[in-house]
Amino acid sequence: MNMKLYNFFLIGLVFFFFTCSENEFEGMPIENLYGEFKILQPLKINNGNPNFSKNEIVRFHCEFSIPVEYKITIEGMSTKAKREINGFSNLLDSNLITWDGSPLKLPFFIDEFCAIELTFKDQIDTIRDTLKILSAKMYEDGIWYEDFEDGLPEGALVAYNKDGGELTFATANDVPLLGNSYFKMGGKVNWDWNIGKIDFELDFKNVNESADNFFLNIGILSDLEDFHSGQFINILISEETQIPFNGILTNDASDIFESDMEVYKMKVPVDWNGWAIKSFRYSDFEAVSPNNPAIDFNMNPKDIRAIRISCQACPSSPGNPICPENFGKIVRTDIDHIMFTKNTDIFKSK
Amino acid sequence: MKRNLRLLFIVFVALGIVNSSIAQTYEKIWFDGFARSYFARDAIDKNVKDDTLSPKNASNGYNLLDLNTHVNPIDDIEIFAQIRIKNSFGGFFGSGTEIDSRQLRVNGTINNKVRFSVGDLFLKQSRFTLFNYDEELSEFENDMFKPYRDIIHYENFYTENRWRLQGIQTNFSFGFDRYIKNLAFDFFVTRPRGSRQISIDNYSSDLLLSGGSMVAELNNHFTLKNDYINLFEVPSSGNQNVSVRNPVYQMTLSHYSENNEHYIEQKLEAGFSKRHWLHSELENGNVDSISNKTHGLFLELENSYFKKDSTFDFSIGYRYVDPDFRSAGAQTRRLDYGAGNINSNYPLYTNMQMVRPTSIFDLIADDRLYNQDLSSNLMTFNPIYSNVFPFGDATPNRNGIYFIGRYAHKSKIILGKLNTGFFSELIGQGTPDKRRFTLIRASLKLNIHHFLKLNKELSFSLASENEFTKRSGNSVSSIDLKSNQIRLSINAEFAKRFFIQANYRQFDVKGNEFLTERNNFGEITYFSLSDYNQKDNILSIGILNKIRKNIYANIQYNWWGMEFTGQPFSDYKYNRLLFILSLKL
Repeated sequence: MNMKLYNFFLIGLVFFFFTCSENEFEGMPIENLYGEFKILQPLKINNGNPNFSKNEIVRFHCEFSIPVEYKITIEGMSTKAKREINGFSNLLDSNLITWDGSPLKLPFFIDEFCAIELTFKDQIDTIRDTLKILSAKMYEDGIWYEDFEDGLPEGALVAYNKDGGELTFATANDVPLLGNSYFKMGGKVNWDWNIGKIDFELDFKNVNESADNFFLNIGILSDLEDFHSGQFINILISEETQIPFNGILTNDASDIFESDMEVYKMKVPVDWNGWAIKSFRYSDFEAVSPNNPAIDFNMNPKDIRAIRISCQACPSSPGNPICPENFGKIVRTDIDHIMFTKNTDIFKSK
Repeated sequence: MKRNLRLLFIVFVALGIVNSSIAQTYEKIWFDGFARSYFARDAIDKNVKDDTLSPKNASNGYNLLDLNTHVNPIDDIEIFAQIRIKNSFGGFFGSGTEIDSRQLRVNGTINNKVRFSVGDLFLKQSRFTLFNYDEELSEFENDMFKPYRDIIHYENFYTENRWRLQGIQTNFSFGFDRYIKNLAFDFFVTRPRGSRQISIDNYSSDLLLSGGSMVAELNNHFTLKNDYINLFEVPSSGNQNVSVRNPVYQMTLSHYSENNEHYIEQKLEAGFSKRHWLHSELENGNVDSISNKTHGLFLELENSYFKKDSTFDFSIGYRYVDPDFRSAGAQTRRLDYGAGNINSNYPLYTNMQMVRPTSIFDLIADDRLYNQDLSSNLMTFNPIYSNVFPFGDATPNRNGIYFIGRYAHKSKIILGKLNTGFFSELIGQGTPDKRRFTLIRASLKLNIHHFLKLNKELSFSLASENEFTKRSGNSVSSIDLKSNQIRLSINAEFAKRFFIQANYRQFDVKGNEFLTERNNFGEITYFSLSDYNQKDNILSIGILNKIRKNIYANIQYNWWGMEFTGQPFSDYKYNRLLFILSLKL
């Protein structure tokens, strides 16, 4: 019996030594998580005078003793434009923590001084610094963009209800979103939905992104003075392949947004004051005629041929009183800086 | 007269034939089952002032019948179906009545040699391969809360530490006249989870569990047992290209010896596990690859002594379980604190409508907190209730010794039990310092009626369960967590099969612990520091009528609640009136 027991224990002992783990411990060091917070390396900014128009970026570096929730806040001293960079780490890695000069929302940064503040959750420490933007970001790095700086682009078609009043379907220079010009789009058509529209021909044959990774960004200006509560912008994107963009020259508009064609839409109610940039994932657009079996809906940015931006509002006249409270009000849905971007929206927030 | 006798004889023979044919018809279909009537009325204690939003009291109940139909179309095959008819109180004319198929199985024997089962199976192997460990704080349970436990176990199919799975099983054995006495085999393939839609265009894979056992009775003294089990996903059954593989291999060698008074057993149990995730059907024609590969071993040496008159037995052993030992069949918990389950009874409380923390009363009384699905990852546990062995004996990263003993006085006046363990981690978590665990559980039952030679039962029980966790080191990573549960109960039979029962249970926990957070591949991603200082208590009084074995009626009143000190929770107190009539048909 003793001999057998001895054998058992011997086997067990061999097993035990064979299986001893060499790791020191599992997981991340607890001391790093719950130890005393110290700033091991102060905040370093690699570029105090960035020229964002030349695609320069600002890199941040800082090291702490434990991982913390940190927040870098960059605020334009003139514009009050703001950008926040958040994270949880014990390291601000300058290869990863960067700023390209864009805000999180409007307004944009301009050539101005910016205050930089690094704060930490549950810690009293705050690190402050400043930088001077030599030249602001131009937002011209999209797949296609239109900023109306040279008037209407070649081939663009503008159509509007000529019987309406105070119609403004032309470029203007008084309050551009960026640069010097924008497209003023509005007026008064009490009896109908359509005020007017602008069509652009596009060529995205070299685009390889899917509809999920393809974004439309558009600046829209409105005001709340004598506000028309039923105004909106209707964006149509056509993937029609057979019909020419402007085959019928007798009308003012493109011919490839018909209901029997592969056309997608996005309705944007416009109910704010001032400029706003709206971004839409292309895959969020809906088919205009989803129940038409003759249309092969196969949403693909590569096949986009044209975009239409329509200014619309619900009718208010006694002959068509859908929203009579808006009778006589002037619709305003001005646009600027229309841009398609891939992978993220213009502010890199989606 | 002779003619009359002949007529009488013919009538008897005819009746006999008819009777016999009826009996045979009934033998092909027979029934048994289970029935329960349940009523509970819960109320907020009248001393609670900070909850005016929750209903002051609420009642619910039901009647249910689980009808088991056994059909024997031929001698060697049985078809078993369990149909549940449940009617919630308050439902009339069929509303509130549920009829469900609860179990379905076909059993049979081929040529009187090979047994098979198809359908709902209840499977168990060793404690390190496939074993459904008891829920925490359920050791030394007394009769007062048995009705509650019966419901939890019955509703969740917890039978003899088996997991209920659906699939096919077969077993057979051979007898030999030399070298080996008996050789038995058991194999099964089950599907714990079928493919299901997890988003608009994503489907998870089938999860399968297969395994086998071989038991070789070498002679009257030695037995060798091997178990194999594998939990794996079949990527082609869904469109996810990541699938888990978790095979576990185990071997047990047992030696027995005995004489007229004693029985002694030595057992060596050892094995190892592997786990990895297979990445298949990769983009750009890349070949399949594996990630997060781990392997771990375990070893247990146990010596057991049994006195044949059942008055004394003990086991002493050593157990080593590697930090990377992973066995889904043995490490899946009955209680999953990460599943987002909330208490059925008063889930929100106070006027701030906070989620009410689970108490020991919920663990006893709420069968919907419990889990029936195998998990390929270590599940979340609550260290205040089980920190030493949250995953049973298969808890990874443990190394230590244990002692389990039982003593019963010859005349059954005293019955004592002891379960202790002294363990430590093999490697630290988040620090090189290792946790040290001490487990002490003890119970003592005094059968006063035996001492006083009374005809009716009068007994007093005392049980205590203690867990201590310590980790030294610096002030940031050190741990000191103590939990203690103490139970006092009295059973007094005041009339034949009628018992008055009283029970007081208190659970205290104080200290701190780091909760481990893991990602989908089981890697530790964070340690969340938790401080505890709380007290649970239950006071219960009731009457039990043990009508027959497996048939009882019980009415009891419970006062229960929790108190927190320095915690972000408010205290609470509730009362419950419970009636249960339980019948096993």
